[in-house]
Amino acid sequence: MMKRMLLPLLAAALLVGCADEEFRTTDIEEIMPSLEFALTDGDGEPARAEDYRGKTTLVYFGYTQCPDVCPLTLARFASIFNELSEAERDDVQMLLISVDPERDTPEVLKRYTGAFGPEFTGLTGDKEEIDALTNRYRIAYSFEEPNERGDYIVNHSSAVFAFNAEGQPRFLVRDPHSNQDVLADLRQVIAEG
Amino acid sequence: MLNALSNARRHVMPTLLGAAILLGAVNAQASDVSVSNARLSLLPGNTPGAGYFDIENGSESAITLTGADSEAFEAIELHESMEHDGMAHMHGVESVEIGPGETFSFAPRGHHLMFMDRLAPLTEGDEVEVTLDIDGEPLPVTFDVVSPASL
Repeated sequence: MMKRMLLPLLAAALLVGCADEEFRTTDIEEIMPSLEFALTDGDGEPARAEDYRGKTTLVYFGYTQCPDVCPLTLARFASIFNELSEAERDDVQMLLISVDPERDTPEVLKRYTGAFGPEFTGLTGDKEEIDALTNRYRIAYSFEEPNERGDYIVNHSSAVFAFNAEGQPRFLVRDPHSNQDVLADLRQVIAEG
Repeated sequence: MLNALSNARRHVMPTLLGAAILLGAVNAQASDVSVSNARLSLLPGNTPGAGYFDIENGSESAITLTGADSEAFEAIELHESMEHDGMAHMHGVESVEIGPGETFSFAPRGHHLMFMDRLAPLTEGDEVEVTLDIDGEPLPVTFDVVSPASL
């Protein structure tokens, strides 16, 4: 009798254990709001967060005139996506949200993100729309003075936010987190379905 | 000179010899400076590229890198990326000093050359001639055009 009771209990405990497995990167389930935005996609069409539900979604705030950190971050995720199975890859997407809408037109963004793979989408918007989003995730960005050629640097958050298929916040990736840890967390969120 | 330039020799020699003939002599210091692993990370469109390389100062005294030039780009600046409190910052750098016997790396997420406004189409696998300015002396270096995914 005891044995028969114990097995289902053990199985239940294991299941709960799985669901509560801690992220190796930074857990943001309790501290960040769900993914909501009203922006413009690479075709100049309205893009709302609801349109991007159904896949595990990574969000990065950057700009295309950034030569070093932004392409490295996107390329890093492209290589992490390469580690996923085909089925897992179908369930993941990465959004580059521009904090430099002046220079990042939909066309520029589309060409830029296209270079990293089909999982990548660039979104832009007017300053108000972008600020609504950066305020929501409590991140900052700032513009440096333009040089004599009119070029300017944008300082921006280096974090990548991960949301599940329903847009619920899951984890946050920073530069020091290893690709293996990011991959493990990503798989865990994809497995949520 | 050949040994000191070992890694960059293949690309650098013809230009350097040309410069030597023009100038009459090659600066003793510059001949002890070698650059290796020179890569230019580029994406399609007119977004800026990033140049990464290792520069070894095999001379007895400090050298200063003050700039770079290329016919393939409108402008090249020395930049440094930094992360501070979760923010990615970038700023221009006037010069970089490399002590005697030291190797300095321009590397991803750190010091890099920022290549702006390409003047000719470039794709992965192309080579770009860049002239580094070291204490007023030109040091020609060939950069391989790569995808940021290869870094």
